[in-house]
Amino acid sequence: MQILIVGGGTGGTILGNSLARRLASEIRAGKVRITLLSASDKHMYQPGLLYVAFGQMTPDQLYRDEASLLESSIDFHVDPVTEFHLDRNEVKTGSGKTYAYDLLVIATGARIVPQEVPGMAEGSENFYTEEGALRLHKRLMEFRGGTVAMVVSLPHKCPVAPIEAMFLLHDFFKARNIRDKVKLQYNYPVNHVHATANVARWAKPEFDKAGIEYETLFNVREVDPVKKIVYSEEGTECKYDLLIAIPPHRGMEMVETNNLGLGGWIPTDRFKLTMNDHDNVYVIGDATNIPVSKTGSAAHFEAEVASDNIVSVIKTGVPVREYDGRVYCFIEAGFDRATHNAFDYINLPELKPPTKSVHWFKVAYNQMYWSTVRGLL
Amino acid sequence: MSTDTEFAPASVAGERGGIAPPVLEQLAEIAMLIGSARDAMSDEMVTRLARAISEGATLLDRLTRNEGLLQLLRVLERPEGQHLLIGLSKALALMDRQVAAAPPSSGGIAGLWKLAREPGAQDAIRLLSILSQCWVESMRDAR
Repeated sequence: MQILIVGGGTGGTILGNSLARRLASEIRAGKVRITLLSASDKHMYQPGLLYVAFGQMTPDQLYRDEASLLESSIDFHVDPVTEFHLDRNEVKTGSGKTYAYDLLVIATGARIVPQEVPGMAEGSENFYTEEGALRLHKRLMEFRGGTVAMVVSLPHKCPVAPIEAMFLLHDFFKARNIRDKVKLQYNYPVNHVHATANVARWAKPEFDKAGIEYETLFNVREVDPVKKIVYSEEGTECKYDLLIAIPPHRGMEMVETNNLGLGGWIPTDRFKLTMNDHDNVYVIGDATNIPVSKTGSAAHFEAEVASDNIVSVIKTGVPVREYDGRVYCFIEAGFDRATHNAFDYINLPELKPPTKSVHWFKVAYNQMYWSTVRGLL
Repeated sequence: MSTDTEFAPASVAGERGGIAPPVLEQLAEIAMLIGSARDAMSDEMVTRLARAISEGATLLDRLTRNEGLLQLLRVLERPEGQHLLIGLSKALALMDRQVAAAPPSSGGIAGLWKLAREPGAQDAIRLLSILSQCWVESMRDAR
């Protein structure tokens, strides 16, 4: 049995390690082989980018060698997949090699495409790449006063990140003693301050308390970097001195070029986590089109379900459980307070007032992540 | 000096119309201790602590899944294994002292010949030879 995992992010790494541990005897006996293909030899802790933007982490703290995180029985190659041949159970890679599989896992993640909004790439900052987070940090440090505006495109990685960023901006400028010189303007595309109603219900009074202004139903149409105005599809506009954008996201380019899914999101059974019409292809993490947050947490829980089912299919011939849409995420409500958000397909999140203890839990998790991807937590 | 009231359980005191003042004082003291610990902590401290726990857990996981190390631990757990370790540690300390006190070796065949004639050197060669033989045998068995 050849298991091929494409993608060395949170989902792919957790799944690979889980399978390697649970199928250790089968691997030793030569009955199972696990191969993981990644586009990079480095593994990045993506949630840390927000902390880099606010000077609370440095980029080197976000990376580990992917090989150091993987079980030694996993055959790991830095060789990005360029072509999927699902009809032949094969993929082709950048190096020209062909990898055959019995079972394929696609965990390729998502990417930002700010270039899809006119003026956004030139006129805004973001914290979705290392370069972007560093540049934003520099801009924030140089900022002396004026309007810092945020615009949000949906869907995007980590749905609560824009809200967290607003609270961090509030505390950042407060710490610099210039909060009274800064107007914080949050613009969101749906008719609440967050797409999840309960999160919106919690965030709105917190915004009011922090003096963060907001406009809902603001879908970005265009950014004018010269006039420093962002225009919405709804006909409104927002003037800014510093614009932070949550850019539009798509699945990975090779997913789109191989016609696996519209916008790069692969049509996936939201319970089984298999690709529609392909029972031997699992899809986890940001690459799916299932209606859950694009977060490391979702990728983690999906990886656990996929692992249970793959192991069960190998050992007993039948899968064992379904994904219930479980997601858990922390929400930083400033430099020293946080709350958390837990939900699934049925149960909505119920947010508690932020506390310092939850903030420390998040700070601790930033380190514990490395144990998580190794499959220990 | 304590009074009966001070030692009255909270429930008993509660029946009389509330929690006894000393209990309240103790609770306040515990709350103050927790508050003090909280104020003394920082993100950096939490980060370092969590990193140590995370790396420690990873190391423990690796060690406990390494069959070779576990076998070594099983051998060293036996009394003769512990004597072996004690002997080794004593030998290392003695060797350190002797090497520090000994003059630099003269080298050459003559020096080697002189060393080979010492009974201690012959014991050492025999010990290494037995170890090598046993090692090779166990490696053959493992294949």
